[in-house]
Amino acid sequence: MAKQIYDVIVIGTGAGGGMAIKTLCEAGFKVCALNAGRRLDPEKDFRFHRMPWDMKFRGLDDPKSRGLSYGYMDNEYTKAAWDHEIPFTTAPGSAWMWPRCNAVGGKTNFWGRSSARFADIDFRAASLDGYDVDWPVTYEEIAPYYTRVEKMIGVASTVQNRPSNPDGSYLPPMNFRCLDRILESGANKRGVPYLPDRIAQLTQPHNGHPQCHFCGECTTGCDVGAFFSSPYFLLPKAEATKNLELRTDALARNILVDESGSASGVAYIDRKTKQEIEVYGRAVVVAAGCIESSRIMLNSKSRHWPGGIANSSGQLGRNLCDHLYGESARGYLPQLVGQPSFPDHVSDSTIAWMPRWQNLDNPQQEKFIRGYSVYPDGGCSDFPWYANDLEGFGASFKREIKRRYPSPVSFTVQAPTLRSDTNYVDLDPEVKDPYGIPVARIHFQWDENVLKMWEHSKQVCADVLRAAGGIFEGSADAPEIPGWSLHETGTCRMGNDPKKFVTNKFGQTHDVPNLYVCDASVFLNCTDKTTTISILTFSLRTSEHLIENFRRGDH
Amino acid sequence: MAGQGIERRQVLKILGTAAAAAQVPGFSRWAFACGHAGNAAAQIRPATYQPVFFTTGEYASVERLCDLIIPADETPGAKEAGVAEFIDFMVANDPEAQYPFRTGLTWLDAESDRMAGKHFIELLPDQQMQLLEPLAYKEKARPGSEEGQAFFHLVRDFVVTGYYTSEIGYRQLDNPALKLYSESPACPHMDDPEHTRLSPSAI
Repeated sequence: MAKQIYDVIVIGTGAGGGMAIKTLCEAGFKVCALNAGRRLDPEKDFRFHRMPWDMKFRGLDDPKSRGLSYGYMDNEYTKAAWDHEIPFTTAPGSAWMWPRCNAVGGKTNFWGRSSARFADIDFRAASLDGYDVDWPVTYEEIAPYYTRVEKMIGVASTVQNRPSNPDGSYLPPMNFRCLDRILESGANKRGVPYLPDRIAQLTQPHNGHPQCHFCGECTTGCDVGAFFSSPYFLLPKAEATKNLELRTDALARNILVDESGSASGVAYIDRKTKQEIEVYGRAVVVAAGCIESSRIMLNSKSRHWPGGIANSSGQLGRNLCDHLYGESARGYLPQLVGQPSFPDHVSDSTIAWMPRWQNLDNPQQEKFIRGYSVYPDGGCSDFPWYANDLEGFGASFKREIKRRYPSPVSFTVQAPTLRSDTNYVDLDPEVKDPYGIPVARIHFQWDENVLKMWEHSKQVCADVLRAAGGIFEGSADAPEIPGWSLHETGTCRMGNDPKKFVTNKFGQTHDVPNLYVCDASVFLNCTDKTTTISILTFSLRTSEHLIENFRRGDH
Repeated sequence: MAGQGIERRQVLKILGTAAAAAQVPGFSRWAFACGHAGNAAAQIRPATYQPVFFTTGEYASVERLCDLIIPADETPGAKEAGVAEFIDFMVANDPEAQYPFRTGLTWLDAESDRMAGKHFIELLPDQQMQLLEPLAYKEKARPGSEEGQAFFHLVRDFVVTGYYTSEIGYRQLDNPALKLYSESPACPHMDDPEHTRLSPSAI
């Protein structure tokens, strides 16, 4: 039997892979997609409409396995979706937390849904402050793709006219709650913006997807598809074309090359049978997520590519960036103490944001360069966490928990690290995964600039809270450990110079023209915004570039 | 308030059938089928619960502590919410909590023995509260009672967790997750952005 050659092999089915798969299949390409995990079964795997008392451990997990949980989204509600069979290591002095959903759709099954565009001020940051290099693209080039993605997935927000936050095409915004209006008044007194977030949550029916029913459990999955996820918005469209073959439990091992060093397919492990299988294509798209993509490419060693495929620059795996997350301030609003409960929980942290306000007019205004954003949240939530801070017991304790219920607030900072030579991914020389494949080793520490942002955010958020009439009760002792945000970028940065960058401005690797990267690996840094909408946007652009190259006869 | 909440469980009931669910665009048949069937049966408890981890004596103290920490007033308390059973279940599954609970309960009996020559469970309610107060309030704390304070807070954490993850606890707080909303809920106090003129609470 002649060996089957697909047009394109896509590794990964999350935001980047899902968009590539959809775009390519709709253009008539035969695509074989490899996904490291299984398909989720909404009936069994999405448990978000269960009440805690319907769960064996009240949603808290079996205490015996709790130490094995990764991150805030990994709990009894989502247990079946997280998959940590493939280990990773950290270099001495480095810390990294890496929650992985290898299921079809990846982390889009559970994401936070904040969806702000990157801005001109982000793409040209180096020109403005002299650190690192500019992106090889301008905002004007990318903006039309953002608009198309927003129309595709549905993003709720308002027009805000801020230099760091270009406006897009929006559904009606989520409404402000009492706590938002109080904090907004405090923020305005301190000259800090407090605005509706850009949120990929459907405030009205959109493209055949139902409106949100505001149950407030988005980060444990949505089985009606009322916010964007690859399995609800992208993969069904690809499957409808009959051009997609999706192989699950298919752990990509390395990219295969032909005699000329071009990509010819992918070798993967079928995790069910433990067999290694090869699949062939005229082009390969890597979209396994920043760290896993670089691991696959570094493991793709051959005569042509002894240091990993498309790594003649030596930059593959380098320049890992991440968002520092942490609770900059917490406290409560006395105005709301004793008030009736209110549905504050309907969108987990993404109703409002305090978008970057630092270093906008003058890039050197603050003691740090660039800027950070903050997500405020609070009010009546699933559980009265603040009870821990109250004294006493008995009827007065119970009454005080009830009185305080609408009042707690907190501020979470999202601050980008700068590119650094010391933050990168390589292969662990000794440790291998259960299939004998070398694992990723992560070298990462917070930089001085991002820690200055952290300190700055603590001061400003406490100040905003007090200006709102709130009671400041403290900040986290330290930020969350690196990796927590799930916003890693870098490792295959895009740029015009093949000696310094892994891919060109279209996400096509300089060394291997039929190898493309469609995830946050290509980003130069992580900016103060979340990454998903930009992954979708750049993946759409890269996929169309790939189609064009095919039509020109390049592949 | 913009989003008129519907009782979540009513929705579950209404949308429990495929026919009803099919009328809501995009709602697949499993959308609200959340394993609630059989829940009522699970809530019927035998008259005397047989603890899994605790001894009968220890369990009586745990149950009493539940009642003291979150008592019944206008709404049912931790005892009615079955929190002692929750604690027994969780501690039975949590090797790290077993030693602190066991030694803590022993400490509690030793302390009440020192105070009144009796086990904790045999003290009068007033005496029990008197024993707990120095553990619960910083200004009443006595030097040397750190062990007791740590135990008290461990128990209190478990009681709070058990109570506020129970249906009774959700109802006590009027937890908004009991309902679904037809639109994004909005602040109803449009003329009072700083919320300085809200009517004083009745709570």
